[in-house]
Amino acid sequence: MIAYFRTVFTAAWALLQGMAITLKYLFKPSITIHYPTEKLVPYEKFRGALLFDAETCISCNLCVKACPSACIQLENATNPQTKKKIAKVDWYSIDFGKCNFCRLCEEVCPTKPKAVWHSLDYEVVFYTRDEMVRCWKAGINYIGKYWNRKEKIFKDPEGQISIQEVHSRR
Amino acid sequence: MTRTSPLAGVKTDTLFVNLGPQHPSTHGVLRVGLTIDGEVITKAVPDIGYLHRGTSKLAEVRGYHHCVVLTDRWDYVSAMPNNLVFCLAAEKLMGLKIPPRAKALRVLMCELNRIASHLLFFGTYGIDLGAFTPFLYAFREREMVLDLFEMCCGARLTYNYIRLGGVMVDVGDNWIAKTKEFIEYFKPRLDEYDTLLTYNPIFMVRTREVGKIAAEVAVNWGLSGPNLRGSGVNYDVRKADPYCGYEQYDFEVPLGKSGSCWDRYFCRVSEMRQSVRLCEQVLATLPPGEFMAMGVAKVPKPAAGEAYAHVEGARGDLGIYLVSDGQASPYRMHVRAPSFINLAILQEMLVGNKVSDVIAILGSIDIVLGEVDR
Repeated sequence: MIAYFRTVFTAAWALLQGMAITLKYLFKPSITIHYPTEKLVPYEKFRGALLFDAETCISCNLCVKACPSACIQLENATNPQTKKKIAKVDWYSIDFGKCNFCRLCEEVCPTKPKAVWHSLDYEVVFYTRDEMVRCWKAGINYIGKYWNRKEKIFKDPEGQISIQEVHSRR
Repeated sequence: MTRTSPLAGVKTDTLFVNLGPQHPSTHGVLRVGLTIDGEVITKAVPDIGYLHRGTSKLAEVRGYHHCVVLTDRWDYVSAMPNNLVFCLAAEKLMGLKIPPRAKALRVLMCELNRIASHLLFFGTYGIDLGAFTPFLYAFREREMVLDLFEMCCGARLTYNYIRLGGVMVDVGDNWIAKTKEFIEYFKPRLDEYDTLLTYNPIFMVRTREVGKIAAEVAVNWGLSGPNLRGSGVNYDVRKADPYCGYEQYDFEVPLGKSGSCWDRYFCRVSEMRQSVRLCEQVLATLPPGEFMAMGVAKVPKPAAGEAYAHVEGARGDLGIYLVSDGQASPYRMHVRAPSFINLAILQEMLVGNKVSDVIAILGSIDIVLGEVDR
């Protein structure tokens, strides 16, 4: 009988000790972020969705070789008069369905600034599989376009925002 | 007049119950086929393979630098030791010499990752047994560790930080200051965890008497990590076969006594204290210099041969056996995944226990299904 009440007492005392800790944090400021009304900006090295600049790319194929999952494809541009390959990219595509977000492509890119780099965007979403394959050509902005198979046109993706412009956290 | 039992003519039978694969307490996609007789389990058959991605086979068609990316996906809760063990094996094949700063950074990252991994265990084990509060506190601190990783290498789970010949980038003074700040913040939190969960009488009663593994049984089943040390067997790869300069740091290997769920739990919580000690020592003695070895080939083609390397991951003895035939990709890669081997003992441990203890036992062996299935 005494053992029973002792057990009840020790359990209740442990409960109160736990409650004291939770009570201590009740009066401290909240550490959670109310997404999506508040957003965290990642650190500068964050590996978000890849971006590409067709103007800087010299079409050297290093990123294609560096990619572990073979998600990058590109084709050299040719000089229309001489029909010879030039150090420019005709088109470039990244399949985000395969991308590992490992930064190997960015590390090997020889141009300055990098022609392919990780943005800070962690909110990239896709509604269809078509949208996962982004295409770039000269004159297309950093975010890229995707080929819509139903309508048979290149479309701008809706999922990506320009969080990469911001460089501070909170 | 004799009285007969009302159940005299009733036919009783055992019942087959599927636990999982979508059960939240199995921490992934694990199915356990339980045969129960009333409340008591008579047979348990773990069924794995729902998360199989064939990374051993994938490695055979990829270069050595690419394989590091694959290793991230085994034990995604603590990916740094995965990176490290592959690099150690490949470096043995190539005969690379690692600069001291890279070694220290590897130790630091692995220990921080051990803290993050054990915090996840601490939080989810509380949830498995019905205590929700510790989970929120554990994840608050785990978030800080993941922030450190994000700041340093850019990813929160799949780091790809430890590379062949060194590490991806050097850490800055800002990062070191933040890590020191975190460690100072984290030390008193460990005492709070003890109050919240470790020495809670209700928690202790639930876990102290169930899932006992004798030391011989643990060794026979090939357990490693905190599961083995919970049974009192002193085996830690960091002490038994030191790598990356673990021999120069001063730390203890926490041991359990009876091999119960609580002992395994307590081993992990004590390991977090040791990891904090290790982090402090590494930060105090971080050598200057290069973070990457010179002369790492872009497409390494090590000479034909084989190498085995193992490290103490957060879940146990994680090993890699690499065979090279002189080509750009490994001829064969075998992974000795601790979770996979630890999971096997479940079929013996569960028999004879009550259904309500299944989750307590399953949670205490702390498996990650990504590593079990690979």
